[in-house]
Amino acid sequence: MTSPDRDGAPDRRLAIAAFAVMFCAAAAIGFVTGGLRSPSVDQPIAFNHRKHVVENQLGCSTCHQFYETETFSGLPAADVCSTCHSEPQGKSSEEAKLVRLLKEGRPLVWNSLFRQPSHIFYSHRRHVMKAHIRCETCHGSIALTTSPPRSVKRLKMADCIACHEQRNVSVDCTTCHR
Amino acid sequence: MTRWGMVIDLDRCTACQACVVACQVENNIPPVDQADSERGRGISWIRLAPFREGEHGTRPSLRLVPIPCMHCERPPCVKVCPATATVIGHEGLVGQIYARCIGCRYCTTACPYTVRQFNWKKPEWPQPMQDGLSPDVSVRPRGVVEKCSFCHHRLQRARDQARMEDRTLRDGDYLPACVESCPAEAMFFGDLDDPRSVVARLAAGPRAFRLLEELGTKPKVIYLSKGESGGDV
Ligand code: HEC
Ligand code: HEC
Ligand code: HEC
Ligand code: HEC
Ligand code: HEC
Repeated sequence: MTSPDRDGAPDRRLAIAAFAVMFCAAAAIGFVTGGLRSPSVDQPIAFNHRKHVVENQLGCSTCHQFYETETFSGLPAADVCSTCHSEPQGKSSEEAKLVRLLKEGRPLVWNSLFRQPSHIFYSHRRHVMKAHIRCETCHGSIALTTSPPRSVKRLKMADCIACHEQRNVSVDCTTCHR
Repeated sequence: MTRWGMVIDLDRCTACQACVVACQVENNIPPVDQADSERGRGISWIRLAPFREGEHGTRPSLRLVPIPCMHCERPPCVKVCPATATVIGHEGLVGQIYARCIGCRYCTTACPYTVRQFNWKKPEWPQPMQDGLSPDVSVRPRGVVEKCSFCHHRLQRARDQARMEDRTLRDGDYLPACVESCPAEAMFFGDLDDPRSVVARLAAGPRAFRLLEELGTKPKVIYLSKGESGGDV
């Protein structure tokens, strides 16, 4: 009556139970550390927009130099920061880190938070200079943040289309796709 | 309305294939190895098709005809696509939206000009070429169909530039890579609906004809040849 199959059954149940416990433990650890994790995108410096834009009244084009003339906006190279930060302006540790990086002459490589897939054509100069759409319409309140936001609302196709339909702009697939 | 179209003058074409190479580079089309090439799995958006001419007993001639996508006014591919991944736009460009394509290949079968090709593999380039890919054209993943786009990414750029200069597009602002590269100046491109454009003038001339016109696809690639009008070949 006994079969090798049934003999093996308790072992298997044990294995399943052990697996379940380990899975829950892993999930719990993931949950806790996930909650503590700093920005999901690593940046060389935790840049503070509010400090520059609101408190020191810098225009966006000081650091994003190309949205008036190119399809892209651009993220600032180290020499842009050097104009003010070759010596510390304040006492923050993040600034101290920046000054050190600049002294070492290392490039600042920012990760783009709003990056679209490579099959999309998008033009800043067109939307900013010709359609006069404000940065925050598409980028939200990033200019008011004190450190890089943990997650941003990237534009989805439905967002592009909704505005294009409202403003009577082309919604042919090949207008945006390439 | 704008209707983008191409004119190819077969009396000037020398079959040098500069257009084929220019297209390959412009549109991030990967090279193919011998094994895949033998199975007909290489991709090219414009190819040279051989046509024999001349009656039996007369001096025979072989003509090589460049064949890009015809951007038909009544495209059979659009009709059969179950995913609306291929669509004809307001200015007559037949677009292929890779993100929507499910790879069923109905369109490759429906196209009477056989200009549509399937990606059997993840595209790969040898190292120095990998770094030279154009950012204006997305690399197609395995499992989707692709074809000549009339380099519509160049239209996106040209229109953006014209708008910044507060003007409309001029004849010549937007040319596909093949047309631009043709050393024999046998290829022309522009708005077929604009009576002042070069293409409209040539398309109305006595040497003009279209491929497989009788199917009613209304291609927007127009060929010129003395032979077709009954003159000397
Ligand atoms: C002093 C320099 C500076 C100024 C001024 C500045 N920015 Fe930035 N901005 C940065 C840096 C550095 C980053 C990259 C780090 C990050 O994402 O926080 C960035 C990132 C961004 C991003 C995210 C882009 C992406 O895809 O990652 C947006 C959007 C943005 N800035 C908008 C603005 C707007 C709008 C203004 C004006 C109101 C502005 N910035 C002014 C330096 C600046
Ligand atoms: C036009 C001058 C100017 C430029 C350009 C500039 N900053 Fe600043 N930055 C300031 C000033 C002023 C402060 C405020 C110092 C203070 O009061 O602590 C500041 C503060 C900071 C701080 C400390 C923020 C905090 O939370 O206390 C960091 C980090 C910083 N900047 C990074 C950058 C980076 C990175 C760049 C280049 C992308 C840059 N800055 C470009 C003027 C500038
Ligand atoms: C109509 C929507 C829209 C508006 C308005 C807009 N952006 Fe953007 N922005 C985008 C999109 C979409 C991307 C992603 C582009 C990509 O990946 O090709 C982007 C990317 C960026 C980036 C990332 C880096 C880069 O080179 O593009 C920065 C910085 C940025 N925008 C800043 C700005 C600033 C500053 C303004 C206002 C002057 C602005 N944007 C206005 C949609 C917009
Ligand atoms: C808030 C409104 C708005 C949003 C959001 C928006 N657009 Fe636009 N877009 C416009 C307007 C208005 C124009 C016409 C600009 C002009 O006057 O030339 C335009 C023009 C364009 C054009 C050129 C159209 C043509 O006919 O040449 C492209 C391409 C484009 N947008 C892509 C995008 C993409 C991609 C997105 C989403 C990532 C997007 N847009 C989001 C308003 C918007
Ligand atoms: C105004 C610009 C615009 C137009 C017009 C447009 N798209 Fe998109 N499309 C986008 C952007 C931006 C994305 C990437 C962001 C996203 O995934 O939503 C996208 C993504 C997609 C995706 C991938 C979605 C996914 O979840 O991965 C598909 C499929 C697609 N588009 C199909 C189409 C088709 C088909 C048409 C024509 C009927 C079209 N699009 C017209 C801007 C546009």
